[in-house]
Amino acid sequence: MNFLNLGLGELLGLVGAISAGVVALYLLDRSKRRQLVATLRFWSAADVRTELKHRRRIQQPWSLLLQLLSLALLLTAIAGPQLGIFDVAGRDHVIVLDTSAWMGSRVGQGILMDQAKANARAYLRSIPRRDRVMLVRADALATPATAFESSRGVLESAIQQSQPGASALNLSQALEFADRAQKLQSQRAGEIVFVGAGRVSEEEAALSSVPGNLRVVTTSSAQENVGLRKIGLRRSPTAPDSWDIFVVVRNYGARPQSVDLGLQFSKSPAGSRRLTLRPGSEEQAAFTYPAKTGGFLEARLNVRDAFPQDDRAVMELPPEASARVVVYSDEPQLLRPLFAANPQVNALFESPEKFDPAVKADVVVLDRFSYPLKSNAASIWIQPPASASPVRVSATRTGLRLDKWHPETPLGAGLRTRDVTLESAEVFSPAVGDIVVAETTEGPVIVATEGSKPGESKRVVIGFHPGRGPMKYELATPLLMANILRWMIPGAFRQWEFQAGTVGTVNAAVDKDAKPEQIRVLDDANRSLPFTIDGENLRFFSGAPGTVRVQVGDRETVYSLTLPDVGEEVWRVPAGVHKGVPKAILSEAAPRDLWPWLALLGGIGLLADWLLYGRSRAFRLRASGAMAPHFKKMAQWRKAS
Amino acid sequence: MPEPLLDRGFLERLERLTIQWQNSLPGLVGGHNTSRFAGSGQEFLDHRQFHHGDDLRAVNWRAFLRLEKLFLKMFQLEPRIPVRLLIDISKSMETGQLDKFHYAQKLAAALCYVGLVRLDSICLQPFSGKLHDAFTASGGRHRFTPAMTFLSGLETTGQTNFLECSRQFCSKYPQRGLTMVISDFLDDRDCEKPIQYLADFGHELILLQVWADEDREPPWEGELELEDAETGQKVELAFDNDARAQYTAAFDAHADLIRKVAERNSGRYLGVPTSVPIEQAIFGPLVRSGAVA
Repeated sequence: MNFLNLGLGELLGLVGAISAGVVALYLLDRSKRRQLVATLRFWSAADVRTELKHRRRIQQPWSLLLQLLSLALLLTAIAGPQLGIFDVAGRDHVIVLDTSAWMGSRVGQGILMDQAKANARAYLRSIPRRDRVMLVRADALATPATAFESSRGVLESAIQQSQPGASALNLSQALEFADRAQKLQSQRAGEIVFVGAGRVSEEEAALSSVPGNLRVVTTSSAQENVGLRKIGLRRSPTAPDSWDIFVVVRNYGARPQSVDLGLQFSKSPAGSRRLTLRPGSEEQAAFTYPAKTGGFLEARLNVRDAFPQDDRAVMELPPEASARVVVYSDEPQLLRPLFAANPQVNALFESPEKFDPAVKADVVVLDRFSYPLKSNAASIWIQPPASASPVRVSATRTGLRLDKWHPETPLGAGLRTRDVTLESAEVFSPAVGDIVVAETTEGPVIVATEGSKPGESKRVVIGFHPGRGPMKYELATPLLMANILRWMIPGAFRQWEFQAGTVGTVNAAVDKDAKPEQIRVLDDANRSLPFTIDGENLRFFSGAPGTVRVQVGDRETVYSLTLPDVGEEVWRVPAGVHKGVPKAILSEAAPRDLWPWLALLGGIGLLADWLLYGRSRAFRLRASGAMAPHFKKMAQWRKAS
Repeated sequence: MPEPLLDRGFLERLERLTIQWQNSLPGLVGGHNTSRFAGSGQEFLDHRQFHHGDDLRAVNWRAFLRLEKLFLKMFQLEPRIPVRLLIDISKSMETGQLDKFHYAQKLAAALCYVGLVRLDSICLQPFSGKLHDAFTASGGRHRFTPAMTFLSGLETTGQTNFLECSRQFCSKYPQRGLTMVISDFLDDRDCEKPIQYLADFGHELILLQVWADEDREPPWEGELELEDAETGQKVELAFDNDARAQYTAAFDAHADLIRKVAERNSGRYLGVPTSVPIEQAIFGPLVRSGAVA
């Protein structure tokens, strides 16, 4: 026999203390009450006095015994005795409930999660009530929903509140977590019960190193499903007005499938393809769609399967960015190849007479003239007049040899020339903080200014004309202009890539020499997410659907992690692992609660005591019989007097 | 200063009452109750033959002229008889959750006031084992304050002895009058004979039995150790509902015995529990019994 609520010592102590109190109260109740009365003539006669003088201290021992016995029974009932189970401590089980995305797949009238919840509840009912259970929700992360808990109400509530997530099941991590929790927190380890479909990644499909006390309660997982796996978009390198779209579709089922893949951009058809997929295989479809404007791109699989959540994906695409450059020059034909060749630059050429100080442009180019600018636009000054140059001109020389570039600066990156002699050039005296891009033997000829003060914009002053003389034929000239424009308006030249992927761990390719401090991984709310770099692979984790942006230099990749992550295969449960709900435990080890019977017996005992010895009708009848002779004698005395 | 036994409002209500007696008692003129004794009253009572020595003012001269015989007119007497209040101050009057003695003090004060208002002569005679010092008040309501002071100064003492007190009373007060006994009548000895003794001496009796609820129906239960308040004698017994019922029946029989003694001698009996307010007791049962009107 086992006591659920109290130990044997506690029970005995409690019974002893209460019995002592009852005996004391009993003696107090049965003790004489002293009372002052006006006369004794109406009270009982001398016979009663004689009887009471020799009365016992405890007049009704059977009443006292009955009361004590009844109270002991009631206290024992409170202690919660159980028959049939002799292990006192109980065991601590861990239920690992699969809450991966796949658990949201349809089966019959409900979803797989409903089956898993029912199985988990069935397991709870099958184990002894004193056993404690920890519920762990497992998807990409193993999250404990409860501590080791004996209250079935709390556990069933936690099971009921479990919902399918968006990530795939990481089974090895979940089992490892459960095993560690049992080792650290349990008093007597019970079973680790995995309840779910067990759809895992290919690497975990043959997972065999499982805890020895593992039990698996699987749900049906034979549904057919075809889903979008990944979508990638980027501006076409050959035609920047167009998007290159790559869509990866996977057949998770066991039968070959033919599905129609359709694309829509801003609710207009953007392409379609019919794909035939073998079981467990992936197919990739590539599309090109011209679009300068922004909008929503939707990819949809026209198929009815068990898991519709991965049949549709939507991504928001930005409009094509371009820089507006206004060039004031008397000889626009010299500069036109430098600016008009770039499709991301919208160049407008005007004569200096039409100069507008408040011109609306991203970059203003002033060719050999000077005029104060009122707008915030960045500016490129080509051979400005010495008297009005934004950077002080120290000298104007001819025949200067351009012998040094500064590739360590973003403006001079990748530039080099050999044996270039400038016909005429202005040599500058740069101020502190100015960036020297190129130098001659006489001094700097290209200087850039950051514009650190408020209201100042970026400026680049070139002491020679890049479209004249030998620089006209140098490869460094268009690269210099590209560097200058990229430095001035980096957003216009940022390379965008869009990836629609699945929630969970994301791997992104980065350059080998990419420095972690130059990389930013931002979520929807512009908060930095932790990431790791392994060689050329950047890895981060997102547990919830959303958008994550990875910025590396002027390249930005937007990950729209809205597709649910579905494991590729179903876990093959190793042989020897217990399976199913253990019905035998329910019938064999179910404890028999004795408390209702003990409480009933205790109640009957107290009722019997009240009826037999209490101030009830039965007692009154008994007492009146005892008093009758005395009253008879009193009447006789009255007559005699 | 001790709290007065009766408040002013209650005294004002008492002023319209009069102590009534039924028997014809001799006494000096000036009372308010008629008597069968002839005397110098206002109401014509009868004629009788004239005898020498009779007052010539009472001769019916008209009858003499017609019949030539002397007839004397007799008038109904309204005697002024003494009213005596016998107040039990024995130790047994102390018992009860509501003090019987205090109740008896208030009852005596109220009756004293009623008598004083009607110019009766009131004698307050406390007793227990013997008669104690008495206080006589007469002459109007202004004598009530000393009477109330006397009553307030009484304390319980001794053991009741009705028989001894009756003997002393009869020898101390030879003039017959109205005797009102305020007591619990719980003498261990018989109290029937002493009452009868008083009645035989010609006193008109009004017996006011005061009891506490515990005296008539003890609320206790179980084993009791009872102590007599007067004798100190102790009794141990077990008590329950049936015993209580029999006790109450015995008490009622005792009260009925006292009532019968009173009625047999043309007296009146009134039992008043202390749970009944004094005002309600006077204007209710006491007025209905005819003791006051």
